[in-house]
Amino acid sequence: MADPVSSFDVSRREFLEGTGAVALAAVAAVPALGADELPSVPHTAIQVTINGVKQKIDVEDRWTMVEMLRDGLGLTGTKIGCDRGECGACTVLLDGKPVYSCSNLAVWADGRSIQTVEGLAKGDKLDPLQQAFIDHDAPQCGFCTAGQLMSAKALLNNNPHPTADEVRAAMTGNICRCSNYNRYVEAVMSVSGARA
Amino acid sequence: MNTLKTVGISTTRIDTLQRVTGKAQYTNDVKLPGMLYAKILRSPHPHARIRSIDTSKALAMPGVKAVLTNENCKVIWGAGSIAGGVQYSDEIKKITKQHRYAFNNPVRFAGEPVAAVAAVNRHIAEEALLKIHVEYEPLPFVLDQEDAMKPDAPQIWPEGNLALSNRNEAVPMGQKRGNVQDAFAKSDQVFEDRFSTAFVHNAQMEPRSAVAHWEGDHLTLYTPTGGIANCRTDMARDLGIGQDKVRVISQYMGGNFGNKNQNQDADLIAAMLAKQTGAPVKLELSRKEDYIGMHGRWPTTQYYKVGVSKDGAIQGIQLRGYSGMGPYRKNSGAMAGVELYEVANVETSIHPVYTNKTVSGNFRGPEFPQGYFGMQSMTDEVCANLKMDPVDFVLKNMTRKPGGGAKYTDYSLEECVKRGASEFEWAKRWKKVPGSDPGAIKRGAGMSFMAFRSGLGRSDAVITVNAQGKYTVHVGVTDVGAGAKSTMWMIAAEELGVPLSQVDVMWGDTDHCPYSVGESGSRTTIMTGGAVVEAARDLKKQIAAKGMPAGTAMLTATVSANPRLPEGLVRSAFAAHYVEVEVDAELGRIKVLKYLAVHDCGRIINPLTAHGQIHGGVLMGIGMALHEDLIYDKRSGTALTAGYYGARVLTHRDAPKIDVIFIENDDGYGPYGAKSIGEAGKVPAVAAVGNAVANAIGHRMKDLPITRDKVIAVMA
Amino acid sequence: MKTFSNVNARDAKQAVALSQQARKDGKTPAFTGGGSDLLGMVKERIITPDVLVHLRGMKGFDQIEQRGGGLEIGGQVTLDTISHHPLIRSRYAVLAEAAETVATPQIRNVGTLAGNVSQRPWCWYYRNGFPCFKAGGNTCFSIAGENQFHAIFGGGPSFIVHPSDTAPALVALNATFKIAGPGGDRTVAASDFFVLPKQNAAHENILKDDEFLASVHLPAPRPGTRSTYHKIMDREAWTHAVVSAAIVLEMDHDICRSARIVLGGVAPVPWHVPGAEKLLVGQKITPELIAKVAEVSIAGANPLAKNAYKVPLTRNTVKRTLTELTGLTG
Ligand SMILES: Cc1cc2nc3c(=O)[nH]c(=O)nc-3n(C[C@H](O)[C@H](O)[C@H](O)COP(=O)(O)OP(=O)(O)OC[C@H]3O[C@@H](n4cnc5c(N)ncnc54)[C@H](O)[C@@H]3O)c2cc1C
Ligand code: FES
Ligand code: FES
Repeated sequence: MADPVSSFDVSRREFLEGTGAVALAAVAAVPALGADELPSVPHTAIQVTINGVKQKIDVEDRWTMVEMLRDGLGLTGTKIGCDRGECGACTVLLDGKPVYSCSNLAVWADGRSIQTVEGLAKGDKLDPLQQAFIDHDAPQCGFCTAGQLMSAKALLNNNPHPTADEVRAAMTGNICRCSNYNRYVEAVMSVSGARA
Repeated sequence: MNTLKTVGISTTRIDTLQRVTGKAQYTNDVKLPGMLYAKILRSPHPHARIRSIDTSKALAMPGVKAVLTNENCKVIWGAGSIAGGVQYSDEIKKITKQHRYAFNNPVRFAGEPVAAVAAVNRHIAEEALLKIHVEYEPLPFVLDQEDAMKPDAPQIWPEGNLALSNRNEAVPMGQKRGNVQDAFAKSDQVFEDRFSTAFVHNAQMEPRSAVAHWEGDHLTLYTPTGGIANCRTDMARDLGIGQDKVRVISQYMGGNFGNKNQNQDADLIAAMLAKQTGAPVKLELSRKEDYIGMHGRWPTTQYYKVGVSKDGAIQGIQLRGYSGMGPYRKNSGAMAGVELYEVANVETSIHPVYTNKTVSGNFRGPEFPQGYFGMQSMTDEVCANLKMDPVDFVLKNMTRKPGGGAKYTDYSLEECVKRGASEFEWAKRWKKVPGSDPGAIKRGAGMSFMAFRSGLGRSDAVITVNAQGKYTVHVGVTDVGAGAKSTMWMIAAEELGVPLSQVDVMWGDTDHCPYSVGESGSRTTIMTGGAVVEAARDLKKQIAAKGMPAGTAMLTATVSANPRLPEGLVRSAFAAHYVEVEVDAELGRIKVLKYLAVHDCGRIINPLTAHGQIHGGVLMGIGMALHEDLIYDKRSGTALTAGYYGARVLTHRDAPKIDVIFIENDDGYGPYGAKSIGEAGKVPAVAAVGNAVANAIGHRMKDLPITRDKVIAVMA
Repeated sequence: MKTFSNVNARDAKQAVALSQQARKDGKTPAFTGGGSDLLGMVKERIITPDVLVHLRGMKGFDQIEQRGGGLEIGGQVTLDTISHHPLIRSRYAVLAEAAETVATPQIRNVGTLAGNVSQRPWCWYYRNGFPCFKAGGNTCFSIAGENQFHAIFGGGPSFIVHPSDTAPALVALNATFKIAGPGGDRTVAASDFFVLPKQNAAHENILKDDEFLASVHLPAPRPGTRSTYHKIMDREAWTHAVVSAAIVLEMDHDICRSARIVLGGVAPVPWHVPGAEKLLVGQKITPELIAKVAEVSIAGANPLAKNAYKVPLTRNTVKRTLTELTGLTG
């Protein structure tokens, strides 16, 4: 159970001990608070593997996963379009399965692994899906794109050769208001074709 | 046409890589040291006088740094007041009577900002909102635009509910040509009908946010705006500071569709909070706030009277319309559609009306999709009554000349209509007898057409070249998603005659980019693209005269282009849309089976991105036709369906395949003959879907959206 | 969001104790499964819990086991698992199909069966913070307001419709629910779990403070059983049912031995229509009979000002579902 302490922010810094560049970036991204004596807020130290890097981080219990990723760790590739499970922009993979990071608490990721859009490319080498999204001009404004990628990634991990209807079903939890749906489906299908 | 090396060739966008790797920095991704978080308290009442606001408890909370209300922040948001369809300006500022402040008293719609808090984190800011005590005196309110015009309606402004123009005149918009009464008297048949369209929200994927940061008297504003130059001008004007004191940055933005050109109240509020606290402030709107706090498409009621002769020639059109503007006239409230027909006798009278609903403003073809729906539903119904084929009816009556003795720079509407009819196999899909499919599953087809402004106008561009032969194009675009950066990049490379790899683009920062009209009104490619062409030509001349620069020297071409069409010419983009639907009459379900959009957008600069623009517009149109509606509770005057779930925004599973045919012509104007494309896909789509439904079920659906309950009411 | 603390319950006993303890401390607890619904309500401050008792980690509650010829489904099993489970797909298709229609993959990956059944109403007045019966008030704003999605059966004083897709399927399957609480476990028939607003206007089921839905038992299907779920949505995915039908038929060749028809989206509880079922028993199913059954299934419907369309829609949905299930063409 979380026991409240004040100045949780300082303790979070101490918990960060990841080895990757991601973790270092995270330290720099932690917001500097004012001098106020802030009221204590329940918080919990969790261990979570993010894009392959195991990290310890102290999170407020009320933080959503996407708050942890964006504000706590500076992984801003994951977007918030609605914060209510209505749009899909925040989709990440939790133990390989797509979930809305706005509708899950960060504490619930304890002991689990999260993959975000930042974890798709291996160094400079893009994931085939990313390349296909580029080639097919899938993103327009790009705000839904990280979410579309993660849903597509989860699909292809389990079903490398989906039909177009299977692609639509797997990605139906990702709204694209630019409505470039035709392109998104084509892009995913092209990757599955390449693997066939 | 095929002498071009870059333009017209499918090209990967200059910035897609950033977008697929999560590296693109959108406004809410900006994080500055010591940054505070801001939240807005919004009125729960559609119309109320604020008797008092007590912010002391909020201010006393640890972590709260500032609270603004209309008592300590009197800044006027100019562009939110009555621009009435034109860009807000110094002139308008001088005469505007009906001001919209960042915080207003009385509040005039549920969702209007009442106070704003800056605190060390967003949770504390949110908690602080709950500690602000506001005493309201609720006032009578009116939601519907027609109700608001009744004599006993609650008055939202002392000047009445007919919205003022930017000259403070309360008169309906309209035109008069010939004599409609005579025309109706001479017509063989006269038809009258009423249509209505709902408030639909832009709902761009990125909810509004703004980061404001003062260094001395210098403001830096990160904000999603399609028009950084306009936004800067507006901010400077509202804050009463020089334009040189404002820098607007918008590197990436998550969609626009018309509600992000100019500054927004969120920008002003963030700037005022940052000033007050002496720290950078990030203001974030929730999706619901974005829906009710930012503008959407104006709802309309449209009354038509159309007279025709036996042979189907339209003799006269009369339109009386009402547009619900919300309590501020942020845009015109016009209705397009009547101009589509070559008719001698026309009389229109369109009333932009104040209501206590969320504010209306620009949304992808501001006055078009709803006006086209009404007008082309009306004519389709007339045509059905005459037992004519709609394609023949359109060919007979559609515009061939823009009127007033003018001519189109080029004309392809007939080609669009005919090509579409044949590729779509119209004759096979359209039901001669509407609703004639036996059984519950009924198919039918509908069509619509478009002639859409594609004017020229002012924009600036700067291109530099260094000794290494690297060209840098500076343009004030941000790329709302339509690919503007890439378009400018391609146009520059083409005109300079160099490969794309030698060209860079600087965008989205007023400190580094010259004026651009802003990405609204489908103007960027034409206007800013035109300026890029001019700048490239200028630079080539300089190189020819002086040679390439050496060492650290650079050559710079600065152009402020403002091309005009010769007198008597009108530039227009044309289209025809064809759609087949299947209606399940027992379950009320409507499914789009086939969709073909034929467009003349002039020359297509980048085929790779162009199709997506049409796809997106069409799908939004289908959503507007069948789903989207901001439904209000009549008694409380508050919105019930704000958000993607509530508005039933289309998902992957709802999106049919959209076929697109481009008819490419170079009319000799605009960069390489490019015409407007960003809005075009949506403009005729709503009408086409409505007509297809009518053909399938044999009932005209007159009120948008065409939801299940309405279908079942007439079918089951 | 409001501050709260999250506690992960190890087992049922501890979950109950944690909830009780919170109450003793003057705090408001809430059980949470996947949180896909709950967090939205907390963000909107429709509910304001101080302690979230998180049930996902409880040992043994995410299992599906064969028991007594039937199936025991832990309350923490996700909808995704249910929709793909081979035994559920083959023997209890109505449940697999219902689970598959819920929202989106992202929600089904975390959304639990118990959470789905226990979700609060999605009435737009309740969800927009109106102080209605469901929020502890004493009005239903839909009656004189926007009621196009509200109840046509069993309404009053509140006219919400039960939002769960799996609930009608579970009632149709004659499931029993195991409830964990301060007094230990208790078991009730699925149909007795849900209560009409007449009985309790503030809550949709019989759960008392500190009680939660622990698991669901499905009885062994009789030979010849076939079942299906048909959901009418206002877009092709990601919304609750406007109307739905969960139908289970026990067929002996072309004779119907027994039938269960339970409707969703039309009443404050999963709406069972025994009158319509009776018509089927012992009969050969024909298009004419189906039409009659569909007609009887809307007997007693009492629509509000804006939801009369739901009456023919319900009739037609029952007709379609039965037609598809029996392989007849209407
Ligand atoms: C946009 C959107 C669309 C949706 N569409 C659908 C839909 O189409 N169909 C549908 O059925 N649902 C829908 N939902 C609702 C919901 O997300 C799912 O029903 C999901 O299955 C809920 O499960 P959960 O485990 O996440 O529940 P939680 O969010 O954890 O809990 C839901 C509610 O049940 C209570 N609760 C949780 N577990 C228990 C328990 N064991 N015992 C007692 N009470 C408990 C919680 O306190 C809370 O009130 C939708 C939600 C969203 C946001
Ligand atoms: S931000 Fe999470 S679903 Fe929209
Ligand atoms: S690309 Fe803009 S929302 Fe999908």
